[in-house]
Amino acid sequence: MKHASTVFPFHRVIWLNCLPSPRNEAKAGRTELIPSIKLRHCCLLRNQRCVVAYLYDRLLRIRALRWEYGSVLPANIRFHMCAEELQWFNQYKKSLANFMRSVGGGDGLDITQDMKPPKSLYIEVRCLKDHGEFEIDDGTVILLKKNSQHFLPRWKCEQLIRQGVLEHVLS
Amino acid sequence: MSDATFEDECDVNQDDSQEDVMTPAELIAKLEEAWLNEKFSPELLENKAEVVECVMEQLTHMDANLQRVKKGDMKASIHRMEIDRIRFVLSSYLRSRLQKIEKFFPHVLEKEKCRQAGEPSLLSPEEFAFAKEYYSNTEAYLKAVALKRMPPNLQTVDMLKAVPEPCLDSFVFLRAKESQENILVEPETDDQREYVVDLEEGSQHLMRYRTVAPLVSTGAVQLI
Amino acid sequence: MDSQPYQPIRPGVGMEENFLSIDDILLSHERLPVRTECVFPRLGFLEKSSDSQDIAEGTKMELPLWLSKGLYERNRKVLSIELPKVYRDGWRTVFNADPNVVDLHKMGPYYYGLGSQMLHFENPENTEIGQTLLQTFIGRFRRTMDCSQNAYNEDTSVLLERLDSLEKALFSSGQSGLNGFQSWEKGRASQLTASTLVLNYRKRKITEVQS
Repeated sequence: MKHASTVFPFHRVIWLNCLPSPRNEAKAGRTELIPSIKLRHCCLLRNQRCVVAYLYDRLLRIRALRWEYGSVLPANIRFHMCAEELQWFNQYKKSLANFMRSVGGGDGLDITQDMKPPKSLYIEVRCLKDHGEFEIDDGTVILLKKNSQHFLPRWKCEQLIRQGVLEHVLS
Repeated sequence: MSDATFEDECDVNQDDSQEDVMTPAELIAKLEEAWLNEKFSPELLENKAEVVECVMEQLTHMDANLQRVKKGDMKASIHRMEIDRIRFVLSSYLRSRLQKIEKFFPHVLEKEKCRQAGEPSLLSPEEFAFAKEYYSNTEAYLKAVALKRMPPNLQTVDMLKAVPEPCLDSFVFLRAKESQENILVEPETDDQREYVVDLEEGSQHLMRYRTVAPLVSTGAVQLI
Repeated sequence: MDSQPYQPIRPGVGMEENFLSIDDILLSHERLPVRTECVFPRLGFLEKSSDSQDIAEGTKMELPLWLSKGLYERNRKVLSIELPKVYRDGWRTVFNADPNVVDLHKMGPYYYGLGSQMLHFENPENTEIGQTLLQTFIGRFRRTMDCSQNAYNEDTSVLLERLDSLEKALFSSGQSGLNGFQSWEKGRASQLTASTLVLNYRKRKITEVQS
């Protein structure tokens, strides 16, 4: 992660914990300690902020993965996520699916498609890697072989293009 | 829009007392208006669930009609294109709403909580469910990974304070759909005073969103 | 058309800081020269220059903005905060003379951000600081905007070199507008493209996308 270095390691927090703890000392009437107690509290808050901001930023990046890769993440990306992040991702995925299913009362609508305004129904695509068989809506099955070129319905290709399997060729 | 695919009129029930009947063309115009406003406004606007529902019905309807048309018919592909275009606008509209819901979730939910009975809701039922899940999911995650291991007084984060609010002072382009008089514009700098402007019908302006927010929600101006 | 799926939390506007903004966290890491106005008992170990157990009153040191902000109190003397050089009268004269000649990256890179944050500490020169910040920004804005609108398909590193972080953000939003317009003109706006994430991963040679 880009700014990982700004997150204080946890041991720093523990280290600050050996400073006078507010409750006991202040109760004991040691008011001269107040500035130090306050300083300690500021440090704890700062660490909390850094940790939370770092984690939240990761969530925003993980959220973007759902929109860019679809609901199944490549193993090498999952590998970078901790168990709780995977859990968050799965829940996000579920919430989004529920939302999309219930839109408009009918069969729902996949809003992760149609990211750009359509110009034509069919587009020319080149295959960047072997992807195996692929079924288009009229039931025809075609073989997506590396370097092969096809003329396919746009909405069928969108996700594969985003994933870098196909490339949109402009005439 | 041809009669083959768009033959029905659409009922829009805004509330029980008043019932509008719209033609498909009017419906799509309504969708486009809501879409542009939502795209350019910094904050989440009132939901248009009834428009979304009608457009969805139209799309299903058009699709069903197309199934009956012969293959290779030139008209069919034009209609299919039309479906794609409408679906794009609808998806883009719902996406920008969802994006704002995620970006401002604590504030969106807070507004919903403070809503008076009878006041229209910002969120559609589906969006409300989504926002609530997003909140609890995120809160649970932060708690599990970090907060529960922190000193007792630091185990919570006030989401309302942590997640920034929409910036209502951002500037927006707009077109006046109806003439407006005496719009109060706040001063930009200390040595400026507030002043009033009139918006002529059809005229275009660049203004602070905060100034025109009420006009956006009444539909008197269109964000562009 | 639709904006990028990953959008980091933006820094706060003016004197505000956004709790979750990483830019604001970096900004509040900037150091300020301070003088302690009371004793900080038992914290002597934080101040390496002396061996005493406490930090004595009147010690001069540098503290990060976040700590200075946390400790500073209007009514009670805990800390007095000095202005960093770039906000003092001498530098203000330079900025007011010609804001375009200064290297705000070197002076900052959070010149505007930190300057706005300085207004939290009741300094008698606050009005002048605010004025200088505003005038500097206005004076440089034209050039930042022109550069970002005209550098198409060019190496922009030289243009960016002397910009403050706020100006850099403006510059890049200008650039994305320019690029968007150019690709629209060439009829390429509707081209479907691989996600930037996918491209980044490919760059890192962790290729095989499994599905």
